[in-house]
Amino acid sequence: MAKLPSIKHNDNKIISNNIVGENEDVIPGLGQYDDFQTIDWQRDLARDRMRHRYIVKHKKDSVWDFIKAAHDAWSGWMCLFLVGLAAGTVASIVDIGTTWMTDLKYGICPEAFWLDREQCCWSSNQTAFGYDNCSQWLTWPKLVGLSDESAGGYIIAYISYVLWALSFAGLAAVLVRMFAPYASGGAIPEIKTILSGFIIRGFLGKWTLLIKSIGIMLSVAAGLSVGKEGPMVHITICIGNILSYLFPKYGRNEAKKREILSAAAASGVSVAFGAPIGGVLFSLEEVSYYFPMKTLWRSFFCALIAAFVVRSIDPYGNEHSVLFYVEYSKPWIFFELLPFILLGAIGGLIGTLFIRANIWWSRYRKQSRIGQYPVTEVIVLTLINAVISYPNPYTRMSSTRLIYLLFSQCGVANNDYLCDYNRNYTNVNGAIESAAAGTGVYTALALLFLALVFKIVMTIFTIGIKVPAGLYIPSLCMGAIVGRIVGIAMEQWAYHYPQFWAFRGECSTGDDCITPGLYAMVGAAAVLGGVTRMTVALVVIMFELTGGVRYIVPLMAAAMASKWVGDAFGKDGIYDAHIALNGYPFLDNKEEFDCTTIAADVMQPRGNAPLTILTQDSMTLSEVESILENSKHNAFPVVISRESHFLVGCVLRRDLMLAIGSVRRKQDDISDDSLVIFNGFVQGNPSASSPVKLRRILDLAPITVTDHTPMETVIDMFRKLGLRHVLVTHNGRLLGIITKKDVMLHMSHHQRTIPSVFH
Amino acid sequence: MTLRKSFFLSFFVLFIFSFISDVNAQYEDVRCKCICPDTAVVNGTQSHRKLYIENVPPNKCDCTNVVLPRVGDDIKGKEKEFCPRCECKYESRNTTTIKVVVIIVIWIISLLVIYMLFLVCLDPLLNKKTTTQYQEHNNEEDESETHSQPLRASGAGVLNRVGQTTDKWKKTVQEQRRHIYDRHTILN
Repeated sequence: MAKLPSIKHNDNKIISNNIVGENEDVIPGLGQYDDFQTIDWQRDLARDRMRHRYIVKHKKDSVWDFIKAAHDAWSGWMCLFLVGLAAGTVASIVDIGTTWMTDLKYGICPEAFWLDREQCCWSSNQTAFGYDNCSQWLTWPKLVGLSDESAGGYIIAYISYVLWALSFAGLAAVLVRMFAPYASGGAIPEIKTILSGFIIRGFLGKWTLLIKSIGIMLSVAAGLSVGKEGPMVHITICIGNILSYLFPKYGRNEAKKREILSAAAASGVSVAFGAPIGGVLFSLEEVSYYFPMKTLWRSFFCALIAAFVVRSIDPYGNEHSVLFYVEYSKPWIFFELLPFILLGAIGGLIGTLFIRANIWWSRYRKQSRIGQYPVTEVIVLTLINAVISYPNPYTRMSSTRLIYLLFSQCGVANNDYLCDYNRNYTNVNGAIESAAAGTGVYTALALLFLALVFKIVMTIFTIGIKVPAGLYIPSLCMGAIVGRIVGIAMEQWAYHYPQFWAFRGECSTGDDCITPGLYAMVGAAAVLGGVTRMTVALVVIMFELTGGVRYIVPLMAAAMASKWVGDAFGKDGIYDAHIALNGYPFLDNKEEFDCTTIAADVMQPRGNAPLTILTQDSMTLSEVESILENSKHNAFPVVISRESHFLVGCVLRRDLMLAIGSVRRKQDDISDDSLVIFNGFVQGNPSASSPVKLRRILDLAPITVTDHTPMETVIDMFRKLGLRHVLVTHNGRLLGIITKKDVMLHMSHHQRTIPSVFH
Repeated sequence: MTLRKSFFLSFFVLFIFSFISDVNAQYEDVRCKCICPDTAVVNGTQSHRKLYIENVPPNKCDCTNVVLPRVGDDIKGKEKEFCPRCECKYESRNTTTIKVVVIIVIWIISLLVIYMLFLVCLDPLLNKKTTTQYQEHNNEEDESETHSQPLRASGAGVLNRVGQTTDKWKKTVQEQRRHIYDRHTILN
């Protein structure tokens, strides 16, 4: 009876039973992955555990070893601390740059060109008339000598707006094309795939980081219908990837690195929205594939550090670090839950419509000639956007300002058309009286409705263009408009019919009891939920965005309604839909798979085709090389001999090619007839040339199932263990192999979606 | 290559200079912001003035020091009615941070634009001898690591390495462009 394999170690190296030991750099490249390949989770985790055991065991040998052990223990926290610092810094830079560049379209502050309009007019004592223009702010018409109100001034302002927008967008598109094409788009579907174990080289690199940061500033400043939240997640994950190389525990181990990346994603949402807890939940719900408790703590820490850095750098003097801080003087009444749920349903519908339309357009763009002119597409889109959005004041202002305007309550300091009610403000600190809407409100409603239609159409065409673009702010904006319209309708209803049974209680006094701003907030959450199909993360992000902890119940109601209505039309959110469109090898681990097939139905080879195998000690080098050349498989099972297919282990194509290449280079007495020995001893008479010993690349513990294992179990194993392939045996003998590609094809056939598997 | 070096040096000098500039006192970092209703509430004559901003130290940020000097004539004798209806807040900001960040962003963008122009215009002219080697590799499926490095004119060791790194980077970007713009395999 063979002894159970154990871990032997001597002074120089550790040999394990089934995993390549520490000296893998003897054959360079062994243990690393090629581009566009899936990682082997089990192998990497086992390598890490072994490395950890070695360090712990030798901790007491010397002071240096003790320091190494301590470094290993806190390297995770140290890495995430640095990631949080860097993420907060980059986010602040992006914020400040975006704010400045956005206002360049309207004018410039002549004595301090780095200030945007609001900051330029900040300490002027002429702002009693409103925020829009003060004497220090030099609009472009004024530069030419015309006044703002004249017709010539309007045209100059229009033209300069369009020209600035075109130059920003053009610059962004050209920079992306020239330096880092992977910096285009929102990147969250790709990040989901990467975190599930896929490798895309360069996607998280230095140039991508730089170009994405600069590009998102330019895209938002160009007035395109984009947000910067998705790109911020990409930026922080790039930072996480780059900094993880400082700590070999994470840099050299792809499975461990994904822990850092999950935590970095949390800090991305934390700095983009000012929502640290929402960021952690976003990383859990949307982006990460495996999320153990350890990652939960680490994400929390990273998001906290990043939020702290942003808060301390924040130069804008607001007391609140909350993005859309609102404070409503009156809470909501119970009856309002009905319109909130209605808003949720509308949000789900809008979300579904948006997803379907965007996927249709993305597919069209991918297949038609438009896809060959990416820079031209960006410029044309910006031109249409700028020309149509300038006349409407609600599309001219940046989406963030519009959202803030829609969320806020009409008060003394708010003199937009939206707040043109027939009321007099007598006291800043008192309650706001209920009032009929003036004509300004109806004008504003018409303009807002046009803005809504325009925004929906533009966002459908904008998501997927080859400049950095996110879709959170546009979704929030669309929802805020819908919500505000519904809210104003409710408010006027309450004003004109105060005797209605629902309003009789709190609304019978003269005070205003319906707050349209709250409806805007709920609407925004509903549409964002409809598009992304988030639930918990959405509610937490919303109440961290607005500081409105009292409004959790309306937000939850709307989020649930939105998800139910949206799911009734299609299970996929926008990210899953893009993953399906691009055909990424992403095995969704949230859905249940319900089928009665067994492993024998799915395994390769089908029918009577022969199984490509290697034998443990009876194949020559030339036979092995010809098998490698003539087949495309990524893994080869190793059996005892051609006659008896009892399983010995499994070897990967990449390892085999590297090992053979290294052996051919270094050993001189190798010929094509040399026997390749994977396991066991050289039999009988040694032939003329010495054997090729490839013991070290053989995996002696491949995961196997029998041919009668139900596919539900097999798919569960793929998801939970992160496998790439599974060997199928029958009565102990090797029968076939199931790869991840086979599993995904099987699932998609079963669910009748269109398969287009990547590679 | 001295051209490149002198570019960077001059940019660096200008970069430092741009921080040493004087800012007008109108762009201060603190203010006191008071929001008040119309003076018409107490039978004053002025209306439509709702926001008052003044630069006073925080202990003087209240109605009497900020609002009354402006509208004192309007509401003579009725200050005690008017002032409680006002809300005053002291705010501060940091314009130096904004200045530093905006200047950094401008510099980064201009460096990128110049580098891009250099790559598009000057680089092919400078490297005309050595570019003929690797033009044909563009649309091959072969993604293995067996491409040999294109021969470079033998210069100093450091320049050689810089040249090789740039070549490798250019190849990576070309690969990325192929995936996104030509074959549409990712990021659609």
